Amino acid sequence: MTEKTAAKPAASSDRPVDPMADRPAPNLKWMGITHQWGTRVKPGKHGLRLGDLNVGIYGEVPAVWNDQTRNPRGAVARRGIPPVGYAIRDKADLWADSAADMYEEAIQRRWAPAVDVPWASIAPLPDAVEQAVCQVMTELSQYANVDVEAVTHWQHQMAYGYHEVKQYLATVSFDAARHMEVFRKRALCNGGGLGLEGPGEVNRMILESRGGWTETVLYLFLMRGLFTQTLLRYLEQHAHNHAERAIYTNCIEDKARHLTYGIDHLWYAINHQNDQKLIVNQLCIIGERILVRELKDPVLREALAIIFAGGIEHASGKGIATYEQMLGDFVRRYLDTLKWLGVERTILFPPELAGYVGKGAR
Amino acid sequence: MSEARVWPAEADLDLGWMKQRGEWGMKATPSKQGLTLADIQIGSYGDPVDRSDNQTGRPRGAAARPNSYRIGGYAVVNKSEIWLENASFLYEEALQRQWSSATDVPWHTIKPLRDDIEQAQCQLATFLTEVEFVAGDVPARWISNTTPDYFEPRQCLLAQVMDESRHMDVFRKRALANGGGLMLTSGGTAGVVGSIDLARDFTEMSSRLHISGEGAVLTIFRMGELMAYNDAEKAIYRLCAQDEARHVAFGVMHMRYMHETAPERHEEIQCYLDEAERQILAGSQNPAGNQTDASEALAILLGGGKDKYDDGLNKLLAIRKRQVQEYIKRVRSTGFGARFDNGRSQLTEMLNQAAA
Ligand SMILES: [Fe+2]
Ligand SMILES: [Fe+2]
Repeated sequence: MTEKTAAKPAASSDRPVDPMADRPAPNLKWMGITHQWGTRVKPGKHGLRLGDLNVGIYGEVPAVWNDQTRNPRGAVARRGIPPVGYAIRDKADLWADSAADMYEEAIQRRWAPAVDVPWASIAPLPDAVEQAVCQVMTELSQYANVDVEAVTHWQHQMAYGYHEVKQYLATVSFDAARHMEVFRKRALCNGGGLGLEGPGEVNRMILESRGGWTETVLYLFLMRGLFTQTLLRYLEQHAHNHAERAIYTNCIEDKARHLTYGIDHLWYAINHQNDQKLIVNQLCIIGERILVRELKDPVLREALAIIFAGGIEHASGKGIATYEQMLGDFVRRYLDTLKWLGVERTILFPPELAGYVGKGAR
Repeated sequence: MSEARVWPAEADLDLGWMKQRGEWGMKATPSKQGLTLADIQIGSYGDPVDRSDNQTGRPRGAAARPNSYRIGGYAVVNKSEIWLENASFLYEEALQRQWSSATDVPWHTIKPLRDDIEQAQCQLATFLTEVEFVAGDVPARWISNTTPDYFEPRQCLLAQVMDESRHMDVFRKRALANGGGLMLTSGGTAGVVGSIDLARDFTEMSSRLHISGEGAVLTIFRMGELMAYNDAEKAIYRLCAQDEARHVAFGVMHMRYMHETAPERHEEIQCYLDEAERQILAGSQNPAGNQTDASEALAILLGGGKDKYDDGLNKLLAIRKRQVQEYIKRVRSTGFGARFDNGRSQLTEMLNQAAA
């Protein structure tokens, strides 16, 4: 086994090099330099997966990764390399055991809005319903934009030693790109257009959660992600055509992976860092209040109510009642998930959210 | 349960939002390739402004709320800084041509190789694992700094981050699949002035990343047949080349747009190209560049063994020449080609000498 070797200049000659003709003799000093040779990972039933590579030293994922170069995990580093500057270097700040599997799953389940949605199945809807759909698409597209911006803000700050997470997040932001796109496409294809931008309370909270990736994960994947996934499920139940159904089904699947990573990471963070559980609880108190403020905005509520009721006529009755059931589903899942993580949301849980717990409970 | 539900009493609805909306009456229709991004460039939705004041992250064309928070903090707000004409096409193509390194590479075709060849393969794979995600880290950062009004280029960059993630892993997989392992890191992607990482202007970054850096790698991947020892390696290079071709096209098309729309920046861009050209040959991020561990490994692979290093070097010099020729062609197509005729670039002279 060889230790770190000193950096060498790219070319070792005093005279100017003619890059098109020079034929320097090889020095081959790199030959034989490895921490572990003889690795032979075989493909399994699902091919050669990222997680399969975690054998021997290649699978040793240290709690702290101080190397700030792009030295791949398990390769022999050079000494004296100026740092690239990775801010997130603690495993507990980003890790989830499921990242490698989620990465491969995301690739296997890829879809393309252009061709995997039966656009021809979309037929004209009553004006109010079309406008309500377009309004919801506008806000969902903006949510997806926040997913894109939040993930890409953090991804490049993550140390190379945790490549599984960096790679997994590439699938998340790519999923979000597709969501942004598919909601926009739906809004522009059936006689409508985009509606009014969202109120932005929760968007702001996610984008301003800069205390660490874990905080962003809580707001982006658990709070907003779970909310969006619940909303998509209700939209799927009220889809007007095969195209909408395909859109929502695909997005729900993508969101399920995001949620898996999110929950998995929060579990890891809470179980590997002192006080993290208390911090999560505190962040929940802050976040829930912001969510309550956002839910007071009538736009999304009324647009969903129109969709759920099939028009304006019954929107305030059946529509709002269905909307409240949806929020009930969301709040229960939110609380259950936190409970599973060991975070009991009892202190300062907003009565506005608590009021939904009994709505639509089965 | 078929009992009729009793709904709560009708609440008052506001519905004021129904009067606030973007342009209405849009009926985008699918084309031969489905409903593509190009198909939804209709009405005002297809026409991004030259300078964006959207700091709230609203979807382009949606009605603005006057009380929205300015949460975007976007740095790229001028169209010429990031735009290109065919972004929609490149993005849709990226979506359609995604592949899986787990299942689309015939890993079972890899059989034990001579030790010097396996070592060379592993050294090259180590290098590529190291450098591939430069093109993931850096575009990611620019995406979050770019207004969503220019979402089409952003979508391409998001696809690129995904592609690079796969490249990073396919070479790690190769290094660990055939009795070898990872070898010595190059350190060539360090954070030094003039590196892809540190550029503070998008076009400066793109000239280094897309045009010179990935352009050089594309040439190598396209000649993958010459250095592959089995169908798995051939598939890896072929699939990666497909992706890289899109990334390079992004850079070329963006630089062309910049050339056409921002004449005041021409001289500045020429300076970036001066730097880019020095870096192509320096080899810190080009395995066919001047002598490095990666270029030695490449020469062994091209020649067919350590004992045929000279043959390999001949092929490597041919690849290097081709890299330069292709680079010149690309830069000419952006409109910045005068540098090859007026003596500013050394590359034409080098090619002429090599030919003589
Ligand atoms: Fe790549
Ligand atoms: Fe690339």
